[in-house]
Amino acid sequence: MGAEEQLRASLKEITDLKAALDEHAIVAITDPQGKITYVNDKFCAISKYSRGELLGQDHRIINSGHHPKEFIRDLWTTIGRGKVWKGEIKNKAKDGSFYWVDTTIVPFLNADGKPRQYIAIRADITERKRAEEGRARLAAIVNSSDDAIIGKTLEGIITSWNPGAEKMFGYSAAEAIGQPMLMLFPRERVKEEEEILARIARGETVEHFETVRVTKSGKLVNVSATISPIRDENGRITGASKIARDITERKQAENEIRRLNIELEGRVIARTAELAAANKELEAFSYSISHDLRAPLRAINGFAGIVLEDFGPQLPGEARGYLERIRNGGRRMGELIDDLLAFSRLGRQAVNRQAVDPAKIVREVLDELKPQQDGRQIEVRIGELPACQGDPALLKQVWVNLISNAIKYTRGREPAVVEIGSAGKNGGGICYFVRDNGAGFDMQYANKLFGVFQRLHRADEFEGTGVGLAIVQRIVHRHGGRVWAEAETGRGATFYFTLEGGNEP
Amino acid sequence: MNETSEVEILLVEDNQDDLDMTLRALRKAKLANRIEIARDGAEAVEFIFCQGAHAGRNPESGPRLILLDLKLPKIDGMEVLKRIKEDPRTKIIPVVVLTSSKEQKDVIDSYMLGVNSYIVKPVNFDSFLAAVQELGMYWLLLNQAPHS
Repeated sequence: MGAEEQLRASLKEITDLKAALDEHAIVAITDPQGKITYVNDKFCAISKYSRGELLGQDHRIINSGHHPKEFIRDLWTTIGRGKVWKGEIKNKAKDGSFYWVDTTIVPFLNADGKPRQYIAIRADITERKRAEEGRARLAAIVNSSDDAIIGKTLEGIITSWNPGAEKMFGYSAAEAIGQPMLMLFPRERVKEEEEILARIARGETVEHFETVRVTKSGKLVNVSATISPIRDENGRITGASKIARDITERKQAENEIRRLNIELEGRVIARTAELAAANKELEAFSYSISHDLRAPLRAINGFAGIVLEDFGPQLPGEARGYLERIRNGGRRMGELIDDLLAFSRLGRQAVNRQAVDPAKIVREVLDELKPQQDGRQIEVRIGELPACQGDPALLKQVWVNLISNAIKYTRGREPAVVEIGSAGKNGGGICYFVRDNGAGFDMQYANKLFGVFQRLHRADEFEGTGVGLAIVQRIVHRHGGRVWAEAETGRGATFYFTLEGGNEP
Repeated sequence: MNETSEVEILLVEDNQDDLDMTLRALRKAKLANRIEIARDGAEAVEFIFCQGAHAGRNPESGPRLILLDLKLPKIDGMEVLKRIKEDPRTKIIPVVVLTSSKEQKDVIDSYMLGVNSYIVKPVNFDSFLAAVQELGMYWLLLNQAPHS
């Protein structure tokens, strides 16, 4: 074989080798300054640049900026000294996307041993790198989790142990890995592991299983655990992952709430029983007043009357007068008892709320109270009385008491004027009033006005038991309202009331 | 008391004062001719149903009206009322409850048991006299009762 033929043969050999290399790898050649002098098709494909865009450009055109300066410096120092450099590099394509290449850079030297050019042979490892990054991210999550994340085999041997598990159970990863999970089980719960492993083997997930585990120091912790099977690429179950959360505090809080609830319930029951007893006692008391106190009163009244009737003519006038007083005293006590009972009954009676027309009630009341006027002329002015919600029977009692007071206390006035109306809506409620130009009262005693048996006038001035306004107040309060009065001695009084939380004007 | 003569009114009352005043009122209204008095619920039941001391009494001979107090020793008035109104032989006898109690519960219970009138004894003596006289008049003279 001639020298030329030999040369041709070896050139063909080189060309074939290069073709084979191009087929497999990403290849680029740069001059000693890093200017690109050759790229193969694979280089163009991965970098998304055309050959024309690359040739003559600085190789830094594909730098990603990912690697630290030292890394790049080391690379250049190595190849500058004529040595081969190997490493994994992240590059940036024309469209801004990144790719990873496993890189070997071989410097070709000239006669005096200086690099003449560099040939870089690369393999695309982007997929592998992505998977690695994903794994690293997951590992970071696992490592930073407060939950215990534990891997174990189907036999229950611990295979991984995160810092959360370390913190929760007190064992370091080195201590735990290779040990049976059973070391975390209190003696009375070892059967749970058997069940868990059986379910995992069947491919089931155990979710939010609340149980108790024991730490290295022997302390018990309440945990909520989710245990899932781990499968290999063929879908075969090879182990289990367990994520456990410490719920000791939550459990304690739950127990505390439960305890408080039970205690509260107990207290409510006791209080209800007390109230029921008190109510019953009160009922018995008022029944007894209603029944037993009346009988002797009747006797006092009755026999005083009989003495007057049978022996009146024989008695001195003074004795007859005293007997009359006995009868009057008895009669008055009867009235007091009746009013007191009516008042006490109000506290127990349910409020039967419905739409009420006060104008109609007021007309009825005025009609019924006619006899009380003793034929006196009273000028009654009725203003606007808007409808409201309330118990019709109870509200009628309020109007009866207020209007009959107005009639009573205007006795002797000429002309007597009674004004009934409303002061309009304010603060959401209607404010009704009854005004008279009668006896009035001194405002410094206004606080006594609504007390039971409290009177601001002597019985020989104006009769009464002192219960009427107490009843008014109780009914108004039971409707969630307010009642108050404005008055001046000798010039009359005005009584205002609201229902359902109305405010003073 | 003659057990064979017809009794107009059975007055069931334990309180001597109330008893005297009721009798006085009835006497004044000339309604006191034939009155039987029972001082507790047990006596009332014996008389009405011709038992015990009254075993020999003819049930046909009345009473035509029963005035019944509610608060009574032994058997209370409500129970007496119940027995009267449950028994077909006695249920047509008018029963007037004459009591001190104004309690709604007593009024309602009495009417549920079939009482014919419910009257609260007034404390005022004149009113008391008037009430007793009016109720006697009404039930014995004005009201038309079925004849047996």
